Amino acid sequence: MAYERTLQSMTWADAGHMAPELILIAMMALLIIVDLVLPRRIDRSIIGWLSLASLIGSFVSVVWHIQDQADQSQESIALGLLNDNYRIDDFGAMFKLLLLTAAALIALWSLGSMKRGTRGQLDHQGEYYYLLLPATAGAMLMTSTGDLITLYTGLELLSISTYVLVGLRTKRDVALQAASSEEKVSAKPAEAAFKYVVTGGISSAFILFGMSYLYGLTGSTHVGEIGSMLTQTVDSFRGLIYMAFFFMIAGFGIKIAAAPFHAWAPDVYEGAPTPVSAFLAVISKAAAAAALFRLFYNLVFPESLSNGNTIGHDLFRAVLAVAACAMLVGTLSALRQHNMKRLLALSGVANAGYLIVPIGLSFYGAHSNNAAELFFYAAAYLFMNIGAFAVLSIVAGARDSESDDSVQLRTFEGLYHRAPWTASAMIIFVLSLAGLPISGGFFGKLFIMMGAASTHAYWLVAIMAGSSVISYYVYFGIVRQMFMRSSGDVSVHVPAASGTVVWLCAAATLVLGVYPNGLLHWFEHVFSVVNDLLVLRR
Amino acid sequence: MLASYLTMAAILFCIGLYGAFVKRNAVVVLLSIELMLNAVNLNLVAFSKYGMIPSLTGQVFALFTIAVAAAEAAVGVAVLIALFRARGTVKADEFDELRR
Repeated sequence: MAYERTLQSMTWADAGHMAPELILIAMMALLIIVDLVLPRRIDRSIIGWLSLASLIGSFVSVVWHIQDQADQSQESIALGLLNDNYRIDDFGAMFKLLLLTAAALIALWSLGSMKRGTRGQLDHQGEYYYLLLPATAGAMLMTSTGDLITLYTGLELLSISTYVLVGLRTKRDVALQAASSEEKVSAKPAEAAFKYVVTGGISSAFILFGMSYLYGLTGSTHVGEIGSMLTQTVDSFRGLIYMAFFFMIAGFGIKIAAAPFHAWAPDVYEGAPTPVSAFLAVISKAAAAAALFRLFYNLVFPESLSNGNTIGHDLFRAVLAVAACAMLVGTLSALRQHNMKRLLALSGVANAGYLIVPIGLSFYGAHSNNAAELFFYAAAYLFMNIGAFAVLSIVAGARDSESDDSVQLRTFEGLYHRAPWTASAMIIFVLSLAGLPISGGFFGKLFIMMGAASTHAYWLVAIMAGSSVISYYVYFGIVRQMFMRSSGDVSVHVPAASGTVVWLCAAATLVLGVYPNGLLHWFEHVFSVVNDLLVLRR
Repeated sequence: MLASYLTMAAILFCIGLYGAFVKRNAVVVLLSIELMLNAVNLNLVAFSKYGMIPSLTGQVFALFTIAVAAAEAAVGVAVLIALFRARGTVKADEFDELRR
């Protein structure tokens, strides 16, 4: 198949369509200069507010774009920019809304928990705020990629920014380090960052190795072309195709932190500043899941349509196996965990399993709303997880001797008597994480289970239900600590910004639990598989 | 011709993976990751010349990989220096503060 590629330059119209990402990148460049010229004595919170403003600006421009598309035509047509390397479509746009919401919540929460003079203040406050922007932009690139090179670039933009974010030390760490003359002092953030760099590097190498075989077999890096070429070459190169996809599943598995590729997650989440842990838990996972979803339905799905025992079915099964493994391993290892940050990391592993179930369920006749299931669960997961991490940092802030990463389960004891409102918010997040009613998590899990049941993957439904039941034990351990114990000595101070984030997340979790159809119908209204997900060369 | 390049790349990738998991010196671990990424580059360039459908895209992809890998290595070494300052060692198996 001979095809020609002409070099397409970027026009102003293209720049307009890419406005959400460009706003973030431009603001990052601007904030670096602002950080440089501002005198040292000025509080770096101003940079935090500016980056929050740019995240909100980017959010508005995505919404404006969706509206604009809806006004112009009945059927929204996806745009392919830069020779179709970059897709502006509703699948990407909806996930961008999620990612930007999460990033904005995290930025707002950091403004509270990392305020000047508080325990959580970072040594490099300015850097923290402006590195959030390229990390978010990288995640957004991943959701709307039409080409393997673009996907890889977005992935690395996200990863490299987060490597640095994980390694940021608080002022307290620095002071401790200066005070102690011993050789070994706490180096948790640096150690976490190093572990993350190594696992992240291995995961990129895996993804790239898989991609290189796909390129070799099809002569193209364009997702749509690979999809159509694979159906032709599939018979002669079965082994290589299996290998390519297994490498990519393993690489993305590391990024999503799905078991058996999750070993780095507890360590990194524990060592990183808490908002960064939440960032990794929500944004990295959601972006990688969205990218994997689009890849699978462009590359594997066309092939799985042909009759017989096809590679596509095996690959979908492999994803489901990873999902099942992640759910079981995540919940079972959370049972023995007493460190709260590690516990949330392991619950994130289990949730990653739920998140990738819709990717592994192929479209079968009646069942075609995988994307909606993935989107809804990602939304519910976003709010409950950021909320839980924010409560954790508030609780840790009550004790001066403790840093966020050493918060144990028993630090929560008697929280209800010390801070009833924060404890009630935590109840909502715990209910949602456990998947009990009147919470977003319940409907998220329910939709995914119903999806699995309608494709007759009953073994998977059983595993999902089983791991949910086991997880009740884990989460009710937290509730028990908060209500049944009374140790009312340490009062809890809730910074205004952190409190706002906790309540926004709690409200959103409740709204998703009471009225799930709102979000679901909106997604199904704007999203169509043919227009928004499949990247076909026109 | 293609087969020998691919074998070479696969061997390089495996050596890199082995090194990243087994080596105790953190600098060598970072080096091993670079080895894995270079295996990918070899694959891409070989495919762009001798692949099913030869095209320039592979070489462009390789350029992207090289540039990004350089950025990644820079961050990795910076993190390692920060870690070395705090712990006074580059032995990967002594970075065990987080599991306790």
